[in-house]
Amino acid sequence: MDHHATTEEHAKSGVYHRYHIHTVEAPDRERWPSRFNVHVRKAGLAKLLIKEVFHYGPQNKDVILSRPCVYGVFGGPVGGFAPREEKCVGCLRCTTEFPDFVRIEHNPARRALGDSYFAFGYVDAISYEAASGLIPVKGAGYRGGFGGEGWDGMWTDMSEIVRPTRDGIHGREFISTVVDIGYTPNFLEFDERGRSAGSPPRTFSIPLPMLFDAPPASVRDAALPRALASAATELGNLAFLPVAALAGLGEEKLAVAPLVAPGDDLAAIDYQPRLIAMDGWDAKLHQELSDKFPHALIALRTAFDDPDLLAYFTAGVRVFHLTANYHGRGEQGDFVLDLIRAAHKRFVDEGIRQEVTLLGSGGIIAAEHVPKAIICGLDAVVLDTPLLVALQANFNDECLDRSTSEFQLPRLDAAWGAQRLQNLMASWRDQLLEILGAMGLREVRRLRGEMGRAMFMKTLEADAFAGIEGYHG
Amino acid sequence: MAELHIDLSGKSAEELIVEKHVANLHAGFAHWPRQDDGPPALGDARWPAELILATWLMAEDGRPPGTGLNYKTGASGGGFDKLDFNFLPEADWLPDMLEPDLSIKLNKRGDGRREIEIPIPIYGGGMSYGSVSEQVMRARATAAKNSGTFTSTGEGGYPASLVPLKDHIITQVATGMFGVREETIKYAPIVEFKYAQGAKPGLGGHLLGDKATSTVAAIRESVPWVSLFSPFPFHSVYSVEDHRKHVDWIRTVNTAALVSVKVSTPTDVDMVAVGSYFAGAHIVHLDGSYGGTGAAPEIAKKNIAMPIEFAIPKVHRYLEGEEVRDEVTVMASGGVRTAYDIAKAIALGADGCVLGTAELIAIGCTRCSNCERGRGCPFGLTTTDPLLSQLMPTEWGAERITNLYAAYAFQLKDILRKLGLKSIRELRGRRDLLRYTD
Ligand code: SF4
Ligand code: SF4
Repeated sequence: MDHHATTEEHAKSGVYHRYHIHTVEAPDRERWPSRFNVHVRKAGLAKLLIKEVFHYGPQNKDVILSRPCVYGVFGGPVGGFAPREEKCVGCLRCTTEFPDFVRIEHNPARRALGDSYFAFGYVDAISYEAASGLIPVKGAGYRGGFGGEGWDGMWTDMSEIVRPTRDGIHGREFISTVVDIGYTPNFLEFDERGRSAGSPPRTFSIPLPMLFDAPPASVRDAALPRALASAATELGNLAFLPVAALAGLGEEKLAVAPLVAPGDDLAAIDYQPRLIAMDGWDAKLHQELSDKFPHALIALRTAFDDPDLLAYFTAGVRVFHLTANYHGRGEQGDFVLDLIRAAHKRFVDEGIRQEVTLLGSGGIIAAEHVPKAIICGLDAVVLDTPLLVALQANFNDECLDRSTSEFQLPRLDAAWGAQRLQNLMASWRDQLLEILGAMGLREVRRLRGEMGRAMFMKTLEADAFAGIEGYHG
Repeated sequence: MAELHIDLSGKSAEELIVEKHVANLHAGFAHWPRQDDGPPALGDARWPAELILATWLMAEDGRPPGTGLNYKTGASGGGFDKLDFNFLPEADWLPDMLEPDLSIKLNKRGDGRREIEIPIPIYGGGMSYGSVSEQVMRARATAAKNSGTFTSTGEGGYPASLVPLKDHIITQVATGMFGVREETIKYAPIVEFKYAQGAKPGLGGHLLGDKATSTVAAIRESVPWVSLFSPFPFHSVYSVEDHRKHVDWIRTVNTAALVSVKVSTPTDVDMVAVGSYFAGAHIVHLDGSYGGTGAAPEIAKKNIAMPIEFAIPKVHRYLEGEEVRDEVTVMASGGVRTAYDIAKAIALGADGCVLGTAELIAIGCTRCSNCERGRGCPFGLTTTDPLLSQLMPTEWGAERITNLYAAYAFQLKDILRKLGLKSIRELRGRRDLLRYTD
């Protein structure tokens, strides 16, 4: 693939470059089941042909051979006798014209992709986004259910007129998706001589509010860390990877935030990372990492509903990577949307939200979940299973967490994988821009915790339907 | 399969191809609703197969289907699909011979502009030339004429073939100003400002390059085969005062036209509505998320702005609170699929509804969502492909939409009789006549 200057290289050049993710079409490597099954009764088709030959005469060959499908399903050498199912988009024109012998069905094998949480609709969307880098655009309105639980019970706001914070959709290239990771003081402190006192801010910025999580233990393909790290290098964000995965990496490890557990060989971290994550709290390890990597920020990876979050803050943690399981559930079963709000609120209530960075993962599996998670209080999301789906991973049964999930990846080519991940991020970032543009927000940092720009089904329904017989909220 | 009695004499291959497929399609639209099951892959939560098939039947004969197909609700699990009416006991229904009045006034301001009343509380929403074929536009406008109501140009210009139907056409002025000319404003009995639309609230319109044929581009005064993105929002509008200037501009160009303001449904939709009223609008058109016919990012359709069911009561109450409710007509759209949805929207506080998808389904849409793929709609609806667009003959389409409107009117009268109401105007805001089903 061509070399395109990475975000890091642009930054070093000192010349302003608008952030841009380089997308290149990266088609599926593995043939996934077609979306539809096309059944043509051959006898019926033969009968039709004979009838039409008689009616139109051989001189009207074009008329006889004109078939209903405009997508080429019947465009093979023997037409409808061997339909090309993979091209079927389910328009139903053929079955409308020939109900007697053409039948189109959803393919159950396609619908079985993913698991009970990562439903096939999400898989479909990601497979398109990772292959093309584009935003899924379709006609004919929304086809899904009305609102729902979790993410689906939340809508984002829009603005009818120009807001001072926006420059219209044509300005959306200038909507910033940069987020800061690290520590900023709540206010400035000065000593009696007017000199700055207190802790100075310690942050670095990444150009999009999405990071990559460490893959589950079951995925052992050495090309995967390379794909993740290379994509992160191109994108300018970070990939969390276990210390053991660093060995196979070259320069691209600069975009890796090592995920360290007690007992890991710290000598394997032979560079100065911007961020290091501790997998669970360990005071000794925290001290060791702070001493050994004075320039790195030390994040703590722990559960959203860990009761000791504030104690970790007191112990010096300023960057939290909070986790729910792959189905977006916390240890007590709460959904990630509520977990994010609760965690954000705990820090707000203590007056220290500004001093910490909250990253979060678990159950964030669609582009729309990113702004929603940020509105609920995250600074940035850490993506897990969507990355695997972008690489065409198949789920073995239900996949719930990093330690127990079984995914099967096709034989991975790191360059193809990196491109798929970049495409996915380009698509998701563009979709984030759509949401921000619609709201009239010029930067994603302003979205954090902006609950006033969210609408929740429960509240709206209560406002609209209160008093209607049978409605009990 | 349609019987083959196509007359071959002197016809070109293209004509024969079109006739063959049109005959097959029409036979299919009549066949499927009469089977025990529809095509297995037809339908979705908002428009289940039954509802699509029932709509095909209504478009065929202008009456609700007597076949047991559900023609009243979808399966979305919320909103209109959770509401039903508290009908009176049968003994208290109004007699059959009493024809409840379905008419609504579009100008309630008494400001000397046209006093427009439509005999049914519905009109057609904006679908632009380019997003749909010229045949579809003409069919919709002819149906509007047949039914004494209106349809809207959408943001894509005014094909010359529509001029004879201008008394039934709303000219839309949207952010890209495509096709907006002095004469198209002057033709219009109603001019509609599109601030936003439910299918992509907060985003501008899209017309992908493949559909911007040279004819479309000529009407839109753009470059052929280049995608067109309307900006969002109106870049000259920062406030209600700026909006007022817009309205005044139209009122100056056309001194008789009514002004409609089409907005989406943000958190402050109530204030947007009242602002539109104070800026001089006769009609506030609320377009909720979940609806729409045009190409839109999936993320926008599902996630931005609130569903219409929640926006209507919010706006109705706020306008009442401001004591202006009887001076402005509120039209609702965005997921209004059936006569029952229309009646529910009115009971929640709208005066009437604006339809889009239902009309397309009447003329053969299967809701497959492929409108933007390749040459456009394979049924000839949302396409500018010269061959495909012939698959929906204008007269046939006009008759189908007229029939659908007639079927809706029939059902609305039936609903009113069962509620003991003599006029659709009495239903407005009567939430007490609704019940929530769980
Ligand atoms: S459903 Fe549409 S795309 Fe599929 S085979 Fe039939 S005509 Fe072709
Ligand atoms: S492409 Fe499909 S959804 Fe779009 S108008 Fe045609 S039939 Fe309807």
